[in-house]
Amino acid sequence: MFGPNSRAPAALALFASLLGLVFASYSTFDYAKHLDRRLHDVHCSFIPGLPATAEAEACRAAMYSPYSALLREQYWGGIPISLFALGAFTFFVGFSLYLLIAGGGAPRRAVIFFAVIGVTPLLVSLLMLGISVTELGTLCNTCVGIYVSSFLLALGGMVNLLTLREPRVAPYPPDLAGYDPRRDAVPASTRPQVSGLLPLAWLTALGLVTIVPSLVYASTVPDHRPYLTKCGVIKQAEEKNDTLVKLRTARAMQPATLFEDPLCPTCKAFHERLVQEDIFDKLNVQLVLFPLDSACNWMLDRPLHPGACTVSKAVLCGGERAREILEWAYSDQEYLTRAGKAGEPTLRAVIQERWGPDMIRCIDDRMTEVRLNRHLHFASDNSIPVSTPQVYLGKQRICDEDTDIGLRFTLGQLAPELLR
Amino acid sequence: MTTAPQGSRVFAALFGFAATALLVVALSVALKVSVASARQRLLTPEAEKPKVAIANQAEVAYCTPRFKQVLERVLHSCGLATGEARRGCQPADVKNFASISDADFNELFTPLKDRGAVILFDVGKEELDDRSKKILEDKWFERKGARYFFVVARASRTGTQAANRALSHRRANSIQFHLTEVAKDPEIDKKVGLLWLGNEFAQLSKDYCGWPTSRPETKCDEESINRSAFVSWVDCRL
Repeated sequence: MFGPNSRAPAALALFASLLGLVFASYSTFDYAKHLDRRLHDVHCSFIPGLPATAEAEACRAAMYSPYSALLREQYWGGIPISLFALGAFTFFVGFSLYLLIAGGGAPRRAVIFFAVIGVTPLLVSLLMLGISVTELGTLCNTCVGIYVSSFLLALGGMVNLLTLREPRVAPYPPDLAGYDPRRDAVPASTRPQVSGLLPLAWLTALGLVTIVPSLVYASTVPDHRPYLTKCGVIKQAEEKNDTLVKLRTARAMQPATLFEDPLCPTCKAFHERLVQEDIFDKLNVQLVLFPLDSACNWMLDRPLHPGACTVSKAVLCGGERAREILEWAYSDQEYLTRAGKAGEPTLRAVIQERWGPDMIRCIDDRMTEVRLNRHLHFASDNSIPVSTPQVYLGKQRICDEDTDIGLRFTLGQLAPELLR
Repeated sequence: MTTAPQGSRVFAALFGFAATALLVVALSVALKVSVASARQRLLTPEAEKPKVAIANQAEVAYCTPRFKQVLERVLHSCGLATGEARRGCQPADVKNFASISDADFNELFTPLKDRGAVILFDVGKEELDDRSKKILEDKWFERKGARYFFVVARASRTGTQAANRALSHRRANSIQFHLTEVAKDPEIDKKVGLLWLGNEFAQLSKDYCGWPTSRPETKCDEESINRSAFVSWVDCRL
C-alpha cells in the first residue's frame, strides 16, 4: 500500500501534529486566560475554530481537576500539562515536515525514531483518557481532540515504517498498465546512513522543545499571593444554636466552614477535589447547608436546584452519617436533580428507597425545617455571596477563584500543613 | 531506482528544523503575551464586575419606607436594636415614636394578614389556650427569611385605661413566655418585639374579624377582636 517513497504517512503525521498543536493551544491559552482570576469561556469542541463557550462543563471539570497541571503548590494554577503537549506537537510538526520533504531519502534511523517516539503522545493520551473516565467521569472534547491527534500521529509514524521495506524488484516486472514498481523503489542501502548518536540528539531536541513553553509560562506567571486574603473573613464563626453539621474527619487539623448545596455541581466537584487531593480528611469541617432552592431559601426568586431543600434536610437528618448522605447526594446528583425537577413526591420516593421511611419522617419534622432555616440565617448573618460553594479556612474566606485551579497554591500559602 | 539527492535531504532537515524553531518562538511569544495580558487584567480592577447577590434577610413588597420607619422606631424604642434587656413598648411610647394615626398604624399591618395571626384571649385574661398555642407556634416556625417577630397586644374598651394597659402587657408577655419555652432560641429577646397598646391606641375595627384567628368559629365583634395579640414575622430588612 505504501511504497518506499510514499509520503502519505508523513503527511498524516504532519496533519496529526498540527491538529494536536491546535487543540493543545486552545487548552493552554484558555488556562492562561484564567490567571487573571476571572471567569472565562473555554474552548470545548472537536471542531477546531469554533469559539469558546460558557457551556463547557466537561472541559472546565478537566481544567479544575488535579490532573490538569503540575507544580500547583509552587505556581497559582500550576504548570498546565497542555504546555508539554504544545511543545511536543511542535517538535512533531517539524520532524514530520522533515520526513515529508525528505520522503524516501530520510535516514532509516529517522523513520524508526519517529515511529518509536511518535507513540509517546498516544501513551500519555491513554493515561489521561483513563483518568478522565475513572476519576473525572467526563470526557472533555478538547482533550479528546488531543487523544485523536495522538492516535493519528502514532499511526502515521507506524505506517511510515512500511516505507523501509525492501523493494521486491525481480519478481515483479512492469504490470499491464505499464507501472514499474522498481521505478519508485529505494533500496534500504540507498537511504543515507547517519550517526547512531543522531537519535539521541533528536531526543534531546524533543525534550527541549517540549519543556520550553513550560519554562516561558513559569517565568511569566503573575504572583497571586497578595490576592489570597482579600475576600474577607467570616463575621460570626459559630451558630448560636449549634445547629451546623460537624463532619468528622480522620485527621482534622484545620477548622473550615463550608457552605454547600447538595445538588450544586460545583459543590460536588469541589468536594471531590478536596477528597482526591487528600485535603478533606484534614479539615475540621463545619457544614452549612445553603440550598439554592426557593422552596426554603428566600434569597432566590426561583429554584436553581429544585429539591435541594429536601436533600439538605436529609443531610441534616443524617446525624453521624451526614457525610455519607452528603456524598451519596453528590455521587447520585444527576439522578437526584432529575427527581427534584420531576417533583417533591418523586424525590422523596428516591430518598426513602435509599434511606428508609424514618428519613422521610425526619425530613417532615418541624424541627428539621427550623434547623435548615437556621443554616440559611447563619449564611444571611454572615452576608455570604448567594452562590455555592463558599469556603472559609478558619475565619478567612477563600476567594471563589482560589477554590479551583488555584486551590493547592492557596492552601499551600494559608494552611501548608494540609498539603503535607 | 532514484535516490533523494544529498541537497534535498539537507533542505528537508533544515526546513524541519526551521519550522520547529519558528513555532517555538511564535508559541513562546504568544504565551508571554497571553500571560502578560492576564497579569494586566489582574492588576486592573474590572470596570463592570459581575454582581453577586449577598445573603440577607427577606425584603418583600409591603416593606414600604413608611412601614420600615415605624418598625425601625419600634426596634430602637423597644430595646431590640440596642441589645438592651427587653423592655417592650407601651401605648405612650408607640404614640410618640410612631407619630401616626391609629388607622394608619393599623393599615401598616394589613399586608401581614396572611403572614400573621390574631391570638384571642378570654375577657380579662392573658392565658393562652391550646389553639392559641398551636397557631402561635405555627406562625413562629414559619420564619423563613424574617428577622423580627412582632407581637402587638391589645385590650378591649371595657375597663379602665390603666387596667387595660396592664392586661395587654400581660398578654404580650404570655406570648413571649410561650415562645421562649418552645423556640429554645438563646437570642429570642433580639427577635421578638413586644408592643402593648391597652385600649388607648390603634384599636381594631370589626373588619379584623376576617383575619386568621385562634378562634375562627366563635362570634367576633369589635370588643372581642381587641382582646387579642396580633403576631407576625416581618419580612423587612431593618
